[in-house]
Amino acid sequence: MQLRTDRALAPLFAALAIGVAASLAHDARAVGDPVKVGFIGSFASDTGRSTLRGAEIAIEELNAAGGVLGGRMIELVSADTREDVTEGIKAYEYLNESENVDFIVSGSIDDVSLGWFPRMAEYRTPTLDTWTSYIGLIDMVGEEYEKYKMYFMNIACDYALGTLYVDFGKDVLGKQMGWKSTVILQEDTAFGGGVQEFIAEIMEAEAGIKVLDTIVYDTQTVDFAPIYNKAVALEPDFMYLISSVNSQVPSSQYVKLQVPVAMTGINVAALGLDFWNDTGGAGGGISTLSPIPAVGMELDDSSKVFAEKYRAKYGDERPVFPHFNGFNAYHGVKNAFAAAERAGGFAPLDDWVREMENTDVKLYKDGEFWHRYAYFKPGEIEPRTGREFVHNIKFDLTPPYDDGAPSMVVIQWYTDGTAKVVYPPKYASGEFSIPPWLQ
Amino acid sequence: MTNILIQGLALSGLYALVAVGFTMIFSVGRVLNLAHGVFLMLGGYAYYTAVQVFGISKGAGIAIAVLAGAAFGILTYTVLVRRLEHNPIAVEISTLILAVVMQALIVVVYTSAPKSMWPIVPGVFRHEGVFVSHNILAAMVLSWIVLGGLVVFVRRTRLGRALRAVSMDRKGAVISGIDPHRMSLATWAISGGLAALAGVFFATYTQLTPGMWVAPLIIAVAVVVVGGIGSIVGSLVVAHLIGFMETVTTTLVAAELRGVFTMVLVIVVLVIVPKGLFGREEL
Repeated sequence: MQLRTDRALAPLFAALAIGVAASLAHDARAVGDPVKVGFIGSFASDTGRSTLRGAEIAIEELNAAGGVLGGRMIELVSADTREDVTEGIKAYEYLNESENVDFIVSGSIDDVSLGWFPRMAEYRTPTLDTWTSYIGLIDMVGEEYEKYKMYFMNIACDYALGTLYVDFGKDVLGKQMGWKSTVILQEDTAFGGGVQEFIAEIMEAEAGIKVLDTIVYDTQTVDFAPIYNKAVALEPDFMYLISSVNSQVPSSQYVKLQVPVAMTGINVAALGLDFWNDTGGAGGGISTLSPIPAVGMELDDSSKVFAEKYRAKYGDERPVFPHFNGFNAYHGVKNAFAAAERAGGFAPLDDWVREMENTDVKLYKDGEFWHRYAYFKPGEIEPRTGREFVHNIKFDLTPPYDDGAPSMVVIQWYTDGTAKVVYPPKYASGEFSIPPWLQ
Repeated sequence: MTNILIQGLALSGLYALVAVGFTMIFSVGRVLNLAHGVFLMLGGYAYYTAVQVFGISKGAGIAIAVLAGAAFGILTYTVLVRRLEHNPIAVEISTLILAVVMQALIVVVYTSAPKSMWPIVPGVFRHEGVFVSHNILAAMVLSWIVLGGLVVFVRRTRLGRALRAVSMDRKGAVISGIDPHRMSLATWAISGGLAALAGVFFATYTQLTPGMWVAPLIIAVAVVVVGGIGSIVGSLVVAHLIGFMETVTTTLVAAELRGVFTMVLVIVVLVIVPKGLFGREEL
């Protein structure tokens, strides 16, 4: 009987033995295997490449310092979104299902991030966005914290960008330039719609600048002459461009047509050093809001080192200088791993989220507080706006910006091909100016 | 009103130049060349490389672009279309694939970043509060000259009459001693050259991007469908109709609806007058 029982149990013992062995093997692999970081973004765009390269340099530094989480190396895997929502969702699924990544750094545009956001909630993968600034994502994190708490936005959201931009409108466009009216030219995107709504609502109330009209145009528009003619016919003091996808056409046609009204606003094409060559040297007089750290902005000591490494590594390969999201990816990846070290890894998720929320990295320029990587916690109220920005990078909307960096700066391109920050005054190194044909 | 008139005329001239080569190829070869936009793109990039990279004069740059377009037209016909022209659907699919492949090649060589080009004719025309670049005015004038010359060419020259003969009756033309393949080759070369010229003005007016072939292709298809596939005169008239319609929509209705009315027009014409407003299939 005994023998028969042993025989009957033999397969069970064998299965258990195999299971234990497999489990031990898995644990051994977990210790020795690399930590996988996924990059999601457009491989072809300057902004996508900025995020990718920022992440690459951060990972190289972490690996060179002996690895992370007990000496494990970091492996970077990438998935191309082609700036398309469907491709973005597929890319997010690929990183999770095929690559089984531990952490994702994103250089996606707003609409693409919005596409993969529900997938992120399903996979529960820690994700850091460096380009998207859509406040709707931040609001979702705040409203459904348990569902979306793995998401962090390493750039000030559009609401914060717009709030500080209104200060620029009041101080520079209104007081300094004496402008009282504007026409908004808005690209037909989620980002464009959000910013337009905000600007139209408070520009007059806060800065005394009346919005005469808003002209919405398709992102594929190639002929801006009728649009500029229509705007000019309304006789505004300036035009306010909101363009985050295809900014080069309105920029270059503005210059080629020598449109007789000044233009400022949000012009993504002007956010990189390559803008000058791309416009054939015709970008003088263009100014734009930029998240930070911006082209033309003086850098903190740490970001300066990163920028030097970037230039040494990539040379003349565009983008020749990182866009703001390149810096945010570099610092963001390092901060995410620092949080993982404190939490013992990216899992359990709650531990990593807690440590990310406790992140507080202050960066200095020649001893002066200059930039900060910290995140708003649930329930934390931003004093100026009186609202929550859960897991958005901590920004400061009130001078002298000693609780965080400002949400944005305004950069100005000059006819000699240089770009400088013109607002806010603490970060300014140049003067706001209008194009030469208007002077 | 002045605004609409000037803008409409300027835009229409460019559209006519974009569309006419497309209609010629259909008229002579009875195939739709969905790589037509690529001819424009190549023209733009050839001009950019010659003028803004190597510093060659603008006139020489235009000549190089036109030659590049014509050469690519010949190559496309010889290597691809001639082997498939008995099957129009195969031609359409293969030319569309060619367009996608060429776009990828352009990305590899020039990257996907858009490039802004210097205007061929700098300066701005201003009249009654309306401003139009000299560049687009030059494109408009040049397109009228080229298109006028093209009409004279197909009606008055020996080669032009041979092209018309093939477009009207291929078998009859063969019996008369005309080699239809040579005529097709000439048509692809002319179409490539014209499209490349349009591409130079299109790119200097807008911008240079690897995806710039799509919008002109849509314009070309809309123009020739509404005008009547194969009709040069129909294409010229409808290019102006669409150009003015887009300008009126942008100025008086809503900029984001700019292309919508064009597509509605295409559908209406397809339903009511399937052969197009000028309903011909020969030059």
